[in-house]
Amino acid sequence: MVDPRMPSDPVEPPYAGQGRFGGWLLAELWDHLWPWSRAGFARSRSIQSAGLALAVAASTVWVLAALGQVAAGVLIGWWFGWSVFEVRVRMDAKPYVKEGPWWGRRYRRANLMDMVCYVSFKNLLIGASLFIALKSAGVLSLP
Amino acid sequence: MNSRQVITRWLRTALWALAIAASLAVADTYEARLAPEVNSAPRLCDYVPCAEVLPGAESFSERKGAPRYVEGYRSEDGKPVLVGYVMLSTDITDTPAYSGKPVITLIGMGTDGRFTGVKVLKHSEPILLLGIPESALVDFNAQYIGKYVGDDIEIGRSRPEKNIIGLDAITGATVTVVAQNQVMMTSGAAVAQQVGILEPVIRPQARFVDAGASPDWAALAADGSIGRLTVERSEVGLGRGGEPFIELWFGDLNAPHVGRAVLGKGGYESLMGRLKEGEHAIFVIRSRGDESFKGSGFVRGGIYDRLQVRQGRDTFTFRDLDYLNVYGVAAAGAPAYSESAIFIIRGKGVFSSAYPWKLVFLGNKVDRATGARTFANFDSEYWLADAYLKGGRPVVETPDPTWLRIWKERALAIAAFTLLLVSVAAVYASRDRLVRRSNHKNKWPVNSFKYIAWVLSIGFVGFGLLAQPSITQVLTWFHSLLFQWQWELFLTDPFIFIFWVFIIVTVFIWGRGLFCGWLCPFGSLSELIYKIARVVGLKRFQRVPSKALHDKLKWIKYWVFFVLLAVSMFDLGLAEKLAEIEPFKTTFLVGMFNRTWPYTLFAAGLLGLSILIERPFCKYLCPLGAALAMPTTFRWFGLKRKQECDSCKACAKSCGSLAIDSDGRIDQRECLLCMDCMIYYYDDHGCPPLSKERRRRSKDGLELTPIGANGYFIPIKPVPMGKGRS
Repeated sequence: MVDPRMPSDPVEPPYAGQGRFGGWLLAELWDHLWPWSRAGFARSRSIQSAGLALAVAASTVWVLAALGQVAAGVLIGWWFGWSVFEVRVRMDAKPYVKEGPWWGRRYRRANLMDMVCYVSFKNLLIGASLFIALKSAGVLSLP
Repeated sequence: MNSRQVITRWLRTALWALAIAASLAVADTYEARLAPEVNSAPRLCDYVPCAEVLPGAESFSERKGAPRYVEGYRSEDGKPVLVGYVMLSTDITDTPAYSGKPVITLIGMGTDGRFTGVKVLKHSEPILLLGIPESALVDFNAQYIGKYVGDDIEIGRSRPEKNIIGLDAITGATVTVVAQNQVMMTSGAAVAQQVGILEPVIRPQARFVDAGASPDWAALAADGSIGRLTVERSEVGLGRGGEPFIELWFGDLNAPHVGRAVLGKGGYESLMGRLKEGEHAIFVIRSRGDESFKGSGFVRGGIYDRLQVRQGRDTFTFRDLDYLNVYGVAAAGAPAYSESAIFIIRGKGVFSSAYPWKLVFLGNKVDRATGARTFANFDSEYWLADAYLKGGRPVVETPDPTWLRIWKERALAIAAFTLLLVSVAAVYASRDRLVRRSNHKNKWPVNSFKYIAWVLSIGFVGFGLLAQPSITQVLTWFHSLLFQWQWELFLTDPFIFIFWVFIIVTVFIWGRGLFCGWLCPFGSLSELIYKIARVVGLKRFQRVPSKALHDKLKWIKYWVFFVLLAVSMFDLGLAEKLAEIEPFKTTFLVGMFNRTWPYTLFAAGLLGLSILIERPFCKYLCPLGAALAMPTTFRWFGLKRKQECDSCKACAKSCGSLAIDSDGRIDQRECLLCMDCMIYYYDDHGCPPLSKERRRRSKDGLELTPIGANGYFIPIKPVPMGKGRS
């Protein structure tokens, strides 16, 4: 039976039942930063492997940017490309999003648009923070 | 013709109109390509039309002065007669406009200090690309012609009691014209002072407190007796580097404690002995960086063109006769330095150590893409502490920054606007109480507030304050973030600024519906037209797209948003052109009858279609709605539902946003928070499960208990008789 009180079916990630608030918060933080899961890896090994490779490449681009070796346009391009792939990886590995207040513990199954919204919003925040930090440090310059 | 065909035909027409609109748009100077020599060639007027801004001039000098300008001459009996001056704004100021880039302007000024002509050579202002014709900027600039450079000119109404001359702004481009006014007045004043048109301000001279001390370097730096000016490599477009581009230390040697500490007692007394009455000396040393502050091209008799001192609107430049050597810095702990100078500030009574002043380094910023250099200046303020001045620092009246002046001038409107936003948020926060007072036949307890909000948002916010949020603002902010973020620029339009703060906060709390459904001027106008059409008997022509068709068409707006975002990464100008899919500028900012017919047709078409379909633009095309819908996925508080909603279609049928699916789930991204479903939620005559329970209780003669927060009658719990009595 469908529960219309949630926009999609409720899901409980492994860490949702974590008793301590600090532990749950750390687990949630890790969940935002690490898009892979064992279950996802078992389900579609090639996609998850490609995702890992792409993540390493994207991280390398950020490091190069921090060293002043990459132009802002390239960095934005890589970050956007990685974000597209992260949506694909998460749909396999962690196909859920938070429902309701961010400090709550309700999660639900994500459809593709939910995941696009989640990844784009999360990566926009991460990207903007890193971008501004690099720009403030003077290592990233634009024409 | 079914609704699907109608909508398909409408979309085709809309896209056709948009394509025509884009092709008709002509913007002469938007991102115009200027010859690199414009920024650097001595003969400026060989590359730009100086004669257009200085009528009567037949020949022009090379660039001269600091900041640079050009003299224009006419020939009289074979002899050149000075007609006036021409200046390139970016030779003098790098004030950015709304785009984060300066409007490069050629300015002419007569020998009497009156502006003779203004010509924009290049701008990057998105609003002037399509929304407002460039002729509006030309008309705005024309207001300066004949005005005196020493007048107090500002945007807005004239204030004769304060001798302020007001200029008419360009509706919808306030930030651009405020920046342009700053450019005009700064440029004009800089040249007028150099050529003697503007008389310098005579300031009371400082009377120093001399305790005979000779502090060390750290102490001097700590109390501001020594200033520091650092320019990072990234600030001049040179990318990353460990060393700054240049680091300068400087100070006022007339102040006894500074002079003695830096030059030693003998050096200080010797220097003071050389200075004439009213003359001042400052020292400058370069402690880091390879760039010379004297300039590598300095020639005997010339001007040191990289350093200036500014006090108020007076600028002091230095020639070789104003230069003395520094033979050593005596203060303990002074940094090692590789270049040094003492500069004499001349001009009796104009410069005063008692008042704040700035050391200005005039540099060039390199465009890494083209290699072109543009002017940029960097400054650091210096003001001796109270303790070193008899009677302390004098009172200095600093004029309010432009954005603050605008906030003060429009305080009443800002307060009213803020009150409107807060009131709507408060009404929505009280929705539970309001929907309980409503029912499916009488929705006025909710709708009265909503309709008031619509009317105010259309009349007051849209047509009155021109505060229509737009996707172009999102794109512009993104661009500014990349190039040059200046809070002042965004604060210059207080209503848009406040509106965005409101939007960001409420999207995360309740979702985009509060803005889109209650406060967006165009959305409100669109739905109000639909409602009025229904009341006046056009209901029979109104159509609701099928849910299946709606579920396909709703994705168009997301694609529009993604395309705009992607295009803006490469070409903001093109993205701004494509953003004309928003009819906001035509409707509110510029006006239906002030634009070319394709725009008017497009906006009028969308509003006309609103008679037949509820909010067609909001549902299917609005890129701003799509942008706000995405974070709405993670709004904190959504609308309430019951388990029975999975099979009951009562509120789904009345949902104007078509946001309720066949399982009774609400698509929060599409929901515009009209509250109709919430009215049903508590309505024991409208909500089928509640109605059924009401009828059952009535039939059984049971009490109708209040409806709880979960949307059900509070259960009747039988209590044993005996227990109740004991």
